Amino acid sequence: MTEISKKGVLLETKNDIQTSILQFFKDAIEKKIFDAVMLPMKVPSGDSFAWIMIRDAEILKDAQPLAPIMPVNAAKALKRFTRKGKGKFNIAVLMRPCEIRATIELTKLNQVNLEDVTLFSYDCVGALPMQDYIADPITGDKKFNKLLTNKNWSSKDVKPVCKICDKFSLSASDLHFGLNDQELILVSNSEKGEDLINNLNLKAETDLKKWQTYIEDKKKIKTKNKEETFKIVKNMVEGFDNLTETFSNCIGCHNCSSSCPICYCRQCYFDSSVAKPNSDVIMMRAEDRGAVSLPLDRIMFHTGRMAHMSLSCVSCGLCSDACPVNIPVAKIFSFVASQTQKTFDYQAGASAGDALPMKEYKLDELGELGELVKSAEAQEGGNE
Amino acid sequence: MSRLLKTNKPVEQTLNELLKYLLESKQVSAVFSLRKVNEKGSVDYGLISDINKLDEIAPLHPVMPANAGQLLGRFTPMGKPVVAVVRPCEFRAFVELAKREQGQMDNFLFISYSCSGVFTLKDNAEDKIKGKLNGYWEAAKSSSIPEGVRNVCCSCEQIAPLNSDIFISLIGEENGKIYLNSKKAEKMLEGFEIETEHSEFDPAILTDILKERAAKKKELFSKINTKDSGLDGLIDIFGKCIGCHGCNTVCPICYCTLCDFDSFNYDYNTPIMEKELEEKGALRLPPDTIFFHLGRLSHMSFSCVGCGMCSDVCPATIPVADIFKKTGEETASMFDFIAGRSIDEAIPVMIYKEEEFQELGE
Repeated sequence: MTEISKKGVLLETKNDIQTSILQFFKDAIEKKIFDAVMLPMKVPSGDSFAWIMIRDAEILKDAQPLAPIMPVNAAKALKRFTRKGKGKFNIAVLMRPCEIRATIELTKLNQVNLEDVTLFSYDCVGALPMQDYIADPITGDKKFNKLLTNKNWSSKDVKPVCKICDKFSLSASDLHFGLNDQELILVSNSEKGEDLINNLNLKAETDLKKWQTYIEDKKKIKTKNKEETFKIVKNMVEGFDNLTETFSNCIGCHNCSSSCPICYCRQCYFDSSVAKPNSDVIMMRAEDRGAVSLPLDRIMFHTGRMAHMSLSCVSCGLCSDACPVNIPVAKIFSFVASQTQKTFDYQAGASAGDALPMKEYKLDELGELGELVKSAEAQEGGNE
Repeated sequence: MSRLLKTNKPVEQTLNELLKYLLESKQVSAVFSLRKVNEKGSVDYGLISDINKLDEIAPLHPVMPANAGQLLGRFTPMGKPVVAVVRPCEFRAFVELAKREQGQMDNFLFISYSCSGVFTLKDNAEDKIKGKLNGYWEAAKSSSIPEGVRNVCCSCEQIAPLNSDIFISLIGEENGKIYLNSKKAEKMLEGFEIETEHSEFDPAILTDILKERAAKKKELFSKINTKDSGLDGLIDIFGKCIGCHGCNTVCPICYCTLCDFDSFNYDYNTPIMEKELEEKGALRLPPDTIFFHLGRLSHMSFSCVGCGMCSDVCPATIPVADIFKKTGEETASMFDFIAGRSIDEAIPVMIYKEEEFQELGE
């Protein structure tokens, strides 16, 4: 991560944070610093939000920078605009920290191209569960506005995975909107960010200490919540019996994988013809155990997905939002990810500079596995 | 000519004995049926070859974790057939798949029944159906629509697939009746302990329920009026779609391994995206939200069996099934076609009739 500047730009918050942030982007578009901004906007039916890449200043005024829900992870939306490489437009995107992390991971996986893009993040109070919001958007809006006004970082109303998120603040973005009790501070977090502040003639004169202490305090609470929750989740997935019980309602719709920002494969292995064996194989499996459950391999799908993407899981919680049978997919994947990422001393999306663990070979890593192999070999040798 | 099983035993018990007999006498290689897998009410479809495992089955349990037609389409046994207990819409889905060479009718002995509908998967996951089960079966007996079943089930008029090998009459019956409809069924059950007699199922028993469902359908369809509301109406309905394509994944008719809308064809180059952005001033991402649904409607709507899986899995609670059922019935009716009615009825777009749609020619 680039060295964070010692001081930030104090932004005016006459009305509320939403308006101030929107005004910032309006100014940037008018000054032609950016050709387009990607922001959330309410859908016409009023009960959800969509990502809109906006060029027209008239349309920009309808955007809502901080959306109460996250129907699509912004990384996934940005992917569709930048996957085919650099264009001619200079783009600004405002995302939640977990969306920034997903974007960074997708950059490493060559699915997002950040050359034209300036990433903005903000201190995130969490997102509401999507289906609750859709069922009652008026109450949802009220709840979320209250969260923003009161700066409530430990609300019961947000998604389970947001309750335990301690990475809700500064992320690998170029610029970050920091919130504390009273202030809204724009913090540059990269050379790109530094340049932008200069181009906009903004004055970085506010000391960040107060904000940093404030956020550190809030983080501690979240970390504690996380540790407690992970203890419960561990019991839900440890051992095959627990795993089977936890996923017993899974119908194999794969909504979790299709809404996951990291699962970028056009066709998941588990949807391919390889994963659909011939009748004789299915029959063999039935005869082997007396019965086989269909669709096949619903548990293996989840463990397979964990093996494929948990190192890059950013705990955004879209999988849980998309699950039609209420399986706590996000909490489970977040827990497993915390374990696998720890193994490689890696944090998904923390920095574009960290190589994906699977792409990098270190001679000295996982030494304990080497020992296991050695002792197994020695045993084999002894048996011969 | 049908034959009726002569017995006074509860119908579920007779059905279980019948399945047991088929497996034990090696007439079939396995039984395909719904099962209850745990205390909290999770269900799955099982392919069962061990007779001792038949105790776990719950063939008539009103939950649909997947459309069985889709599952059977991935499974076409050779040699000995498999006996499959499926709902009418699942049977019809398989018929549609067989027309698309995604399954073989011959390889199955199909058992279906007059169906009162299924509860939603959400309600089942939230353990809300246990208290409704008694009411469900009471409603079936008294020919009325049970509380809490899927929207499409309340309005389903294709409830009695009399062309399945074995048909169980449940609606309006004090105790269900089991009819053997095909020579295949008769032959396989020759040694079964329960005797049979000549008897035809009388569809008059379904008159009341069909009347009630027709009224429900009218009510449901009147709520979906995309014809008059146009594109804005579609945006109102599908605007909250998150593009997970779960509707298509669980759809028994959408059998493509890779949907066109997930293919490279819709990966636009950056200049194309930028051009559209310049023209419109704004661009929704990911793109093609409405296009996907319209495309899917045009690809599969006339074969839509109205099973309702799509609505149950939609994370944005869009009433996908209601819209697809309505559109499906309208497109199919132009061809005098009913999805899954008969294996001999060709898919409308697969046949060319010189005299059809002359008004388009004009």
